[in-house]
Amino acid sequence: MPDTHFYHYDKYDRTLLSERVEQFRDQVRRRLAGELTEEQFKPLRLTNGLYLQLHAYMLRIAIPYGTLSSRQLRQLAAIARKYDKGYGHFTTRQNLQLNWIRLEDAPDAVAMLAEVDMHSIQTSGNVVRNTTADHFAGAAADEIEDPRVWCEIVRQWSTLHPEFSFLPRKFKIAITGSPNDRAAVRIHDVGLRLWRNEQGETGFEVIVGGGLGRTPMIGKTVRAFLPKDEMLAYLEAVLRVYNRYGRRDNLFKARIKILVHEIGIEKMREEVEAEYAAIKDSALKLDPQTIEAIAAHFAPPPLPHRPAISGEVERLKLEEPDFALWLKSNTAPHKLAGYRIVTASLKPAGAPPGDASSVQMEGVADIADAYSQSEVRVSHEQNLVLPHVAVEDLPAVYRALAGLGFAEANVGKITDIIACPGLDYCALANARSIPVAQRISNHFANLARQHDIGDLKVKISGCINACGHHHVGHIGILGVDKNGVELYQISLGGDVDFGKTALGDIIGPAVAADRIVEAVDALVRTYLDRREEGERFVDAYRRIGVEPFKESVYAAV
Amino acid sequence: MAKNLSGDLTVASANRLADGVVVFLDDKGHWTRHLEQAALARDKRASELLLARARAESFSVVDPFLVAVAEDEQGDLEPISLREKIRVSGLTFEAIAADAVRYA
Amino acid sequence: MPLYREGSLQPVDATGPAPLPLEEWLKAPMQAVSLANTDQPDALSMRLSRLKLVVLHFPKFTDGRAYSQARLLRGRMGYRGELRATGAVLRDQLPFLLRCGFDSFESDQPGFGVALARARSLFSVVYQGAEDNRATVALLRLRQHRQPAELAAD
Ligand code: SF4
Repeated sequence: MPDTHFYHYDKYDRTLLSERVEQFRDQVRRRLAGELTEEQFKPLRLTNGLYLQLHAYMLRIAIPYGTLSSRQLRQLAAIARKYDKGYGHFTTRQNLQLNWIRLEDAPDAVAMLAEVDMHSIQTSGNVVRNTTADHFAGAAADEIEDPRVWCEIVRQWSTLHPEFSFLPRKFKIAITGSPNDRAAVRIHDVGLRLWRNEQGETGFEVIVGGGLGRTPMIGKTVRAFLPKDEMLAYLEAVLRVYNRYGRRDNLFKARIKILVHEIGIEKMREEVEAEYAAIKDSALKLDPQTIEAIAAHFAPPPLPHRPAISGEVERLKLEEPDFALWLKSNTAPHKLAGYRIVTASLKPAGAPPGDASSVQMEGVADIADAYSQSEVRVSHEQNLVLPHVAVEDLPAVYRALAGLGFAEANVGKITDIIACPGLDYCALANARSIPVAQRISNHFANLARQHDIGDLKVKISGCINACGHHHVGHIGILGVDKNGVELYQISLGGDVDFGKTALGDIIGPAVAADRIVEAVDALVRTYLDRREEGERFVDAYRRIGVEPFKESVYAAV
Repeated sequence: MAKNLSGDLTVASANRLADGVVVFLDDKGHWTRHLEQAALARDKRASELLLARARAESFSVVDPFLVAVAEDEQGDLEPISLREKIRVSGLTFEAIAADAVRYA
Repeated sequence: MPLYREGSLQPVDATGPAPLPLEEWLKAPMQAVSLANTDQPDALSMRLSRLKLVVLHFPKFTDGRAYSQARLLRGRMGYRGELRATGAVLRDQLPFLLRCGFDSFESDQPGFGVALARARSLFSVVYQGAEDNRATVALLRLRQHRQPAELAAD
C-alpha cells in the first residue's frame, strides 16, 4: 500500500528522475572542470532549481500542488540539515528554498530528493514551472473536484517537454477546483478554474496572461469552458503560440501577459483556438483510463467517522482565549463534519515569514502522522496545512503546534505576512523584505487586537519582480532603492480572491525603512476609525477610497 | 569616518564557483574570503586593470565585478552599498538554527 | 561549422545543394532551404515533397522558436527530409532537438559527436509525445494496465 493519498511515483517516474539526476551530475562535473562556461551552464542549473544568490547557491525544490507526505517533509528536513544550515524557506509558489547549498553538493541533494519522489526540475528557468493548486485541495468543503489530479497530469506533460524548454520567459500555471479560488488563478500565465456548467459537466475556464512583476496584469478568459480531457491539447496550443510569438527582444516584455496585451485577447484566442483545432484529436487527448488512473491516486483517505462536536474543544474555547482565536483563524471547514483543516502558521511574531528549521519540519511531520493521515500541504501564503484533523484532536494538535511555535492564531490576519527573501538573500533585490516583515509582525503581535483588526493581507516584495505578491496585498509593500537607500512604496486594495482580483493602488511617495511600521499603523488606525459593522480593511478601502489613508500615512511618517 | 565615499575605491568580488561563497581578489591574484585582504584599486584606471585581472582569474569563480568601498582612518574597508555590505557580513536578521524551535 | 549526424562520432561532410534563405527559395524552390526562426513553416508546404534539407536556426541557444518550427514541419506537415539545427547548438540541447525531429546538427562545441551518440539514451522514458514517436509513459501504463485483461480474455 502506498503511504500517501496523492500521486505516488511508479517505475517510469522514478527512472526519469534518476536519469535526470545523473544528467545534472554530469553537467555540474563539466562546469567544475571548466568544460562549460557560466553562460552555458546557467540555464542548465536553473532548470534544476539552482540559483546563485548573494552569498550562496539556492536550491528551489518543487512541492507539486503543495502536497507533501510526512516522509517527504522529513527528508526535506534531512537535506536541509545535511547540505544547508538546517532550515528552509517556503515560498509563495509552493516551493521550498534552501539558501546555502554548495554547487558541489547539489547533485547529491537532488539525489536525496529523488529518494522520496521529489525534484527541483523546472523550478526556475524559462520553462513551465511547478503547477500550483489550492492548498486545501481534496479536503475543502467548497470543492467541486480535486484540482491536483490535473496538476499531476500537467506536471508529467510539462516535465522535460522537448518543445517548450526554451520559452521566451518563465511560465506559471495554477489550478483551482473551488469557487473560492485559493490558487490565485487570475495572476498566473495560465489559470485553470474547474467549474460545473448548466449541463452538470465539469470543465475548465482557461485564463491566460495574468501575472505580477513589473507589469502586473489580471488574466483574461481565453476559453470559458474546456472539456477536461482536452486540457493538454489546449495547453500545448497556448504554449506553442507563446513560444513562437512571445517577445524575446526585451526581458521585461517576454511574459505571455505582454503578448496577450499587445495582440489583444481576441487575436490570442484566434491563434490558440486555431492551433488547438489542429491538435485536439491527437494523442494529447487524454484517455479516460489515464485520467482515472491518476485520479485514483488522489482518492480521499479513509477517514473514520468522528464526532462533529467535542466537549473538550468547547471547554477549552472558554478557558483559553488564544485557543478560541486559533480555532477561528487557523482552522477551516473540511468536507467531512467531524474534521477541520488546520493551518500551521509559519509566522510567529517576529519570525522570518515562511521559514522553518529542520526540527520544526520534523515536528510538523510527526503531528501529520499522528493526526492528519501523514499529509501536509504548503500554502502560497507560506504556511503549512494539516488537511485532515479530527475535531476531537484539535486541542492536541494545537498544543503540539504551539510546541513548535506554529500555533500563532494569525492566519489571514495582519501578521500573517507574505514576504519574499529580499535583499538579505536575493541577487535581484532592491531592498530587504524580511526585517520589515519582522518589525510589522512584532508591532501587531497582540492576538486579540489582530482579531479585532480582522482579515488583512500584508504582502512584501524586495523588488518589482513581486515574488511577495505585493500588488495583490490589501496592503502591498514594495522595496525600492533610491541612491542606495531602502525605501518602501505602499499600495492599497489589492486582492486575489476570485471575482474580486484587483491590483493595489500606489498611495504616494515611498516611505523610509524606519517609518514603515508607523505607516502601516496609521493605515490600520484609519480603518478602525472609519469601518462599518463587519467591514474588512479592503472593503472599507473600496468604500472610502485612498484619501483618508493617504493623509494619515503621510501625517505619521 | 570614511575617507572616501565617491566610489573611486574598488575591490573585485565574485562568488566562488564550487560553493557560491563571496570572495575577493587579493594582490597575489588569489581569491580570498576576507575583504581586508582584497586588492584595492584607488582610481578609475586601476579599477579597470583590477577587473581585467579578476576576469583573467575567473576559472574558479562566477562573474567577477567591482565593488565600491570606503576606507576609514585605520585602513579598514567597507562596501558602500547595502547590497554589498550584506554580501560581506551576511543576513541582517537572525536566521533559525537547525535545531531550533526558536519561536516556541 | 562542423556538421554532425547520428551514427558518426566525427563531423561529416555536408553534401547536396546549399540551402537558400526562404525569400530566395520562394523564387526558385530548390532542394534545400534555410528558415529564420520567425519564418512560417507553412511557406514550404507547396514544395515540401521536393525538399531534401530544411535548416532551422538557433540565434542563441536559449531562443527556442525553432523547436516549434521543427515539430510543425515534422508532425503537422509531414516533412521527411533532413532537418538541420544551426547557430548556437550545444550538446545539452540534444535530447530536446532529437525529440523535435532534428537529425543533423552544426556545432563547434568540443565533444559534440560523442554527446550525440549518447543523447538518445540519457532518458529512457518520456512523458510527452513528440516527433521521435517514442511511446509515452501514459501509453506504456495503459498497455501495462490492459495487458492482463487481454490475456485473461484469450
Ligand atoms: S521580489 Fe525581487 S527581491 Fe524578492 S525574491 Fe523576488 S526577485 Fe528577489
